[in-house]
Amino acid sequence: MRRFRTSKGMIGLILVGLAILIAIFAPMLIPAGLSTKMHMAERLHPPSLKHILGTDELGRDLFYRVMLGARTSLEIAVSAVGMSILIGLPLGMIAGYFGGWLDNVLMRIVDALLAFPALLLALTISAVLGPNLRNTIIAIGVAFTPYLARIIRGEALRVAQLPFVEAARAAGTNNLNMLIRHILPNVMPATIVQGTISLAFAILAEAGLSFLGLGTQPPQSSWGLMIQASRNYLDISAWTALVPGTAVALTVLGFNMFGDVLRDILDPRAK
Amino acid sequence: MNYVLNRLLSMLLTLFLISIITFAVTNILPGDVALMIMGTQSNPEALAGMRQSLGLNDPLIVQYGHWISGMLTGHWGTSLVFKAAIGPLLLQKMTASGLIVLMSMLIALTGAVPLGVWAAIHRDRWQDTASSSAALFGVSLPDFFWGIVLILLFARTLGWLPSSGFVDPGTDLGGAIAHAFLPSLALGLGLMAHLTRMTRSTMVGIMEQEFIRVARAKGLRERAIIWRYGLANAIGPVMTIAGLQIGYLFGSIIVIESLFNYTGMGWLTYQALLNRDIPLIQATIFVIAAVVMLTNLVVDLLYVLVDPRIRLG
Repeated sequence: MRRFRTSKGMIGLILVGLAILIAIFAPMLIPAGLSTKMHMAERLHPPSLKHILGTDELGRDLFYRVMLGARTSLEIAVSAVGMSILIGLPLGMIAGYFGGWLDNVLMRIVDALLAFPALLLALTISAVLGPNLRNTIIAIGVAFTPYLARIIRGEALRVAQLPFVEAARAAGTNNLNMLIRHILPNVMPATIVQGTISLAFAILAEAGLSFLGLGTQPPQSSWGLMIQASRNYLDISAWTALVPGTAVALTVLGFNMFGDVLRDILDPRAK
Repeated sequence: MNYVLNRLLSMLLTLFLISIITFAVTNILPGDVALMIMGTQSNPEALAGMRQSLGLNDPLIVQYGHWISGMLTGHWGTSLVFKAAIGPLLLQKMTASGLIVLMSMLIALTGAVPLGVWAAIHRDRWQDTASSSAALFGVSLPDFFWGIVLILLFARTLGWLPSSGFVDPGTDLGGAIAHAFLPSLALGLGLMAHLTRMTRSTMVGIMEQEFIRVARAKGLRERAIIWRYGLANAIGPVMTIAGLQIGYLFGSIIVIESLFNYTGMGWLTYQALLNRDIPLIQATIFVIAAVVMLTNLVVDLLYVLVDPRIRLG
């Protein structure tokens, strides 16, 4: 834990903690209906005492909207990354541990999937399934799986060649036990580091998908949607773009810093 | 030569898998191409006839065979939205996107290599902190947010550059570059931040090695060590990492081209997805994946060609 006492670790920890707290408690703290109530008389008001971050094109309070956006953003990012770990972890472990033709076949498919830009794959899946919250999670989750599978496979391959695995095998450990008791704990650090960094990418991907209208759908509050809506009012009210944009940037920055420090602690071989 | 041959063979296999993935993903679409062509008002018999003639009643494996043989022989079909042959359409859009992909790569490398090296040779001092923090901030901003900030600054406030549209480089090169500049910058800044981090960590790794210590011990000037020994060894890995980012760029152009109304490959992909133009979706994502794979192959082969230490096969 001492390594978190660098300024980078502290800032990362604070930003991530803040984002998570807001995501959990925002719906309880915000006065009922205030985030969705429209005031056409108060459209596009600049930041003031009444609305500290101003209002959007429908007169809704941006401070409340941006706090609710944190929940959507984190909900999608955490579920999507969770999904890609759930698929990528067993696939990568099996490919790396068993090797041979199984590894060959699996990694060929992963290589082919990696030729598709992650955002393109996510957009296509979301468009194909029909954009909504659940399908956005599936789209981002599927698009990120090959990256995770590749990294975990590399780790499993490395661990499988360590002497202690040979010793365990000599002691009569079967494959299933070996995978769960010996390989899994040793690929966990790399998985956690990669998962944290993937969270940052997933938040960016969700914002991108929603920005293009192929992610979260209104009336759900999402940072990407807010930036999309602001495009028509850039000249008169730039803050409607800058407020959600800053929210994305700070959250992603937090996860990136957190991930960097985690990597220094858990994976000392990487620089 | 064996290495090159091996890579080419495995490329063909990957290309085959890419085509299967493309076909599989687009075939879970609930849409009906016949219905899209004829419109919802058409009579059921004509619709059934259309389905028959398009081969939509055939088993999936037969449909895949039709599609892939068409792709291989240059019969790419017709876009439902643009009512135009897909082949020439893609070629034109690919040229447009090629311009901003190249320009953004150029912008990114011009900034990233000096910044990364600067950070690495001042490791853990304020120069490193400043450069690394800026880079970390850069990778955390969504590229369409960069785009909006650039539009606000250079197009709306200063009025220096156009914020929307595409000009054909064949007719007006200056106009083409002016229109491509802001989208390229929006893509390039995020990429620059990423490559700065990569250059820094590559360079840090190299400067810790024995031959650098030897060079210092024999009294070479630090400047010569950095340029002739450090950077000369870092440039290969950095180029490889930069080449691998082509895939990332082809994802990002979908958002950036739509934001800037730049009618290239990304904009086309977005239109195809929005309108569920299935033949166009299949062709665009197949072509993008193939281009990404080919670029990665070329980068790998170039590396072998350039670095005399690698003699494979």
